[in-house]
Amino acid sequence: MSFIPGHPVTAVVQRIEIHKLRDGDNLILGFSIGGGIDQDPSQNPFSEDKTDKGIYVTRVSKGGPAEVAGLRMGDKIMQVNGWDMTMVTHDQARKKLTKKNEDVVRLLVTRKSLENAVRQSMMQH
Amino acid sequence: MEEYDVPSAASILASVKEQEARFERLTRALEEERRNVSLQLERGSLPSDRLVGGTTGGSNQPLAWQQMVMQEQSPSNQTSLAMMQEPQEVVEETVTIEEDPGTPTSHVSVVTSDDGTTRRTETKVTKMVKTVTTRTVRQVPLGPDGLPLPEGSSPLGSYTDSIDRRYMKNGERFITPQATSTLTRSYNNYSDSYNDAPDSQFRHYTLHDGYGDMADNYGSLSRGVNYRPYRPYMPTGGYRPENSYTLPIRKDDYGHVAQPQVPMGSSTMDLNRSQPERFQPEPYGLEDDRRSLGPDDEEPYDLEPDYSTANRRTLPGRTIREPLRNGPRMRGYEDPIETELIDERHPYIHGMYPAPLAQPERGSLASLDRMGGRRSPSIDSIRKDPRWRDPDLPEVIAMLGHPIDPVKSNAAAYLQHLCYENDKIKKDVRQLKGIPVLVGLLDHPKAEVHRKACGALRNISYGKDHDNKVAIKSCDGIPALIRLLRKTNDMEVRELITGTLWNLSSYEPLKMVIINHGLQTMTNEVIIPHSGWEHEPNEDSKPRDAEWTTVFKNTSGCLRNVSSDGAEARRRLRECEGLVDALLHALQSAVGKKDMDNKSVENCVCVMRNLSYHVHKEIPGAEKFQDPSALQGPGSAGTQRKKKDDAGCFGGKKAKGRKNGEHDKNYDTLDLPKRTEPTKGFELLYQPEVVRLYLSLLTESQNFNTLEAAAGALQNLSAGQWTWSNYIRATVRKEKGLPILVELLRSDSDKVVRAVAIALRNLSIDRRNKDLIGSYAMRDLVSNLPSGQQRPAKNLEEDTVVAILNTIHEIIIESSENARSLITAQAIDKLVAINRTSQSARETKAASHVLQTVWSYKELRNALTKDGWNKTHFQPIPTGTPKGSRSCKPGYDDTTLPLMEKNQGNRGCSGGDMIPMGELGPDGYSTIDQRDKESKYKSSDGSSDLQEREPLKNDTNRKHYIRSNRPTVSLVDACDVKPQPVDSWV
Repeated sequence: MSFIPGHPVTAVVQRIEIHKLRDGDNLILGFSIGGGIDQDPSQNPFSEDKTDKGIYVTRVSKGGPAEVAGLRMGDKIMQVNGWDMTMVTHDQARKKLTKKNEDVVRLLVTRKSLENAVRQSMMQH
Repeated sequence: MEEYDVPSAASILASVKEQEARFERLTRALEEERRNVSLQLERGSLPSDRLVGGTTGGSNQPLAWQQMVMQEQSPSNQTSLAMMQEPQEVVEETVTIEEDPGTPTSHVSVVTSDDGTTRRTETKVTKMVKTVTTRTVRQVPLGPDGLPLPEGSSPLGSYTDSIDRRYMKNGERFITPQATSTLTRSYNNYSDSYNDAPDSQFRHYTLHDGYGDMADNYGSLSRGVNYRPYRPYMPTGGYRPENSYTLPIRKDDYGHVAQPQVPMGSSTMDLNRSQPERFQPEPYGLEDDRRSLGPDDEEPYDLEPDYSTANRRTLPGRTIREPLRNGPRMRGYEDPIETELIDERHPYIHGMYPAPLAQPERGSLASLDRMGGRRSPSIDSIRKDPRWRDPDLPEVIAMLGHPIDPVKSNAAAYLQHLCYENDKIKKDVRQLKGIPVLVGLLDHPKAEVHRKACGALRNISYGKDHDNKVAIKSCDGIPALIRLLRKTNDMEVRELITGTLWNLSSYEPLKMVIINHGLQTMTNEVIIPHSGWEHEPNEDSKPRDAEWTTVFKNTSGCLRNVSSDGAEARRRLRECEGLVDALLHALQSAVGKKDMDNKSVENCVCVMRNLSYHVHKEIPGAEKFQDPSALQGPGSAGTQRKKKDDAGCFGGKKAKGRKNGEHDKNYDTLDLPKRTEPTKGFELLYQPEVVRLYLSLLTESQNFNTLEAAAGALQNLSAGQWTWSNYIRATVRKEKGLPILVELLRSDSDKVVRAVAIALRNLSIDRRNKDLIGSYAMRDLVSNLPSGQQRPAKNLEEDTVVAILNTIHEIIIESSENARSLITAQAIDKLVAINRTSQSARETKAASHVLQTVWSYKELRNALTKDGWNKTHFQPIPTGTPKGSRSCKPGYDDTTLPLMEKNQGNRGCSGGDMIPMGELGPDGYSTIDQRDKESKYKSSDGSSDLQEREPLKNDTNRKHYIRSNRPTVSLVDACDVKPQPVDSWV
């Protein structure tokens, strides 16, 4: 996912729909995020490009809604319910994910394995 | 992703040729009908033949690829591959706002030595933050030439990928007058609505083909086509010729030629005419430069609804880099659009399509060209040839030596722009030997020239490529900057200079150079005047408050960086006349004004903290103050050995506390030394008076970095065995600092908790403090511990957990009372859980030490057994990790400090400290951090984690900038107004 600012980038993305788990007042997605434009991208262990300030899935709890939906550690979240997540602060991303009035979040994520799949299929032809 | 766009060279060549031929024809036609602006001309005049070629040449490939992938992709496959694409009717605009030249990046590393002090290396880099805002405008579906816009032509039309990846619907903008006006209108709407609903556009699309019909979208693949906004470039083409190589007189001649690609509506024409006039009064096009560079210039345009505004606003989206990159890169992405979206509708758009690539950043270049055009051969040739070409990098660098000053300054400004966040260009500039020229320009008498040169240097000096910094240093850039700092009174230039110095100071080897050349100058020129401190306060003048200027912030950031460069750097800073006094004054003024959440305060506290490191060893004459009791005092070598034995054999008598207690009683009644004359200079660092200052900061500040640094300063000052640290420890207690610190154990910020925990540990060298901390802080300490595998809500990092465990250990050593309160705080559960299940060897070990110590109190065993514990719970869990590897290393530079040795001794029993946690991943970003620290520790001492302070900080007073912590590279400040979790569970 490395990109140079100003250059077009394509991404192979997957949609993931997570149904939040209701636990009392809390809605649980079952994963954690890291990153954001206010965070130090060089510390992101998942990004290929260490200047990528995107939001990444840092942990997925076992058996949680996110895992059930197919989210994986290291996924880069591109969008949350249509909101762009590639240029947001950490907190903005968190807020978008944890809206109380939304029981379902739809993510657009990208991960390396997806890109590889595309690349592979390209090479076969 | 370059793989996707690899048109064959032959096809490129062929289409280039074809386009060139077409271009020739059109050019001829243009010459004849120069005064008649027509739609045909619009297309013909575009100077973009080769790029057009690329576009057409490669057009098939992505298509083929797309189809292929679609075949591969079974619709039932849940993990459908989709590439993001924006809906066609979206016009995106990028507004680039460059914010605050002094945005620091910081790099922090902690070196901990075994004497209970931490030296923290903090490296801050000033960075220009460019906030890129994407505006997505829904184009009114008014087909430019009457054709309806295909709505939702892509199944995934709703996805806007991101700002930097954008796909521009490139057609409408230039085709018809309607399109122009539509666009402009939408901009205006946009300006109104942008702030409150950044997502409104996205939501909009979601409505018509977002997730709602997910079934359709699943399993389908659409191309992700993301473009730089092309539209913004187009007007550029319209203006440039007038601006750049047409002298006013000839404007009319060229104007028409130049404008074809601009929509022909009457309003547009007006616009085109008016633009040059706007620029002409400005000799060097400075305003243009700013427009493309600076945020301040940006914002007004957002609000201005007139046409020219719309056009101007588009400019920032224009990336100057494009011209320097080769076209083919873009091609892959262009192609699909070309073929699908545009071809059928506007066949002639080919001619103009790649124009953006051929257009330089308008603001700077237009003016640059205008200046340079008279002499530069490259531009002369342009005059003969209506095709316009960017100056390439060597030419720009050559222009730095141009005899005409404005050319120099514009070239420098252009370089600054080019270099912005573009490491490749920075490197190229360096390799083309542009840096010495820029440094040379610093001494240029004309303010315009040295300002721009300095701006370019600031951008070049930013980033992780230290070679650029070294290059600036190698051509004596640092003394040149300092010279200029002495000479200039221009605030902007001073900000640029100090910003550059801040950047440079992030690179370890340059720190001493900066100290050697600039320390006193920076202190005299910036720190002292802005701090409000006066050497000899005038009797009747009120003490002045500090001014938190950018210059002060940059300079203090630079000092913060250089203050971490080891003992010699600290010595120089301490001895720099007026520096400590001024910093203290500034901090006191911050406390007085209750204005202590800003970056400058943070920088000052960090400098103070760094300068407080090892004061007890590095201050001239420190040996006079060495506490004689230290030799026999708590934690002397003898004690340590005993301790070790105890820990090893699980027996041991716990008779140790008493003797120490006697010493501590002395501390409690210790009289502070009387002074005959006011202290000044570095002595101020460790006077008990500073305790109150730090405690005020700890009470009042909301800035985690400041909190951490203030706690760190107390930690440093309370370490070691000398008279002053005894005073400090007692003063913290007397100033009621212990509750303040304990309170901060509940902070949301990991590093604050850690710094406070370690400070408490050092403070508990004082026996009374130990008793108090044991009774009042135990519960908070324990509550920070994870219970079993489930981490508490706070999610503290491994280092913090280890620090807390070590603090607990320190508190319960020689105090069975404290051990008892540890038990009553329900800690044993947690400790055993950590000992058994923690994935961190360091945590395991630290917990094991605590458990061993608890078990060693025979009087407590009864209670423990009643609770169901037995000896095995308190024994170290055997691990396969190398034992004591760290403790075997020689101490960092201190062997006399009791605390460390005690722990080190214990540690020797269980070892295994070296296993980095980094691989575990679940900690998210923090893991890298730890790994970095880990490597630091390896080089220092086994006990270091007892003392370490978390380098990662959240900055509360600045938003949106980034901090990184890697020890050797410049870091970015990650800040948010609120305590920013690095990693949030959702």
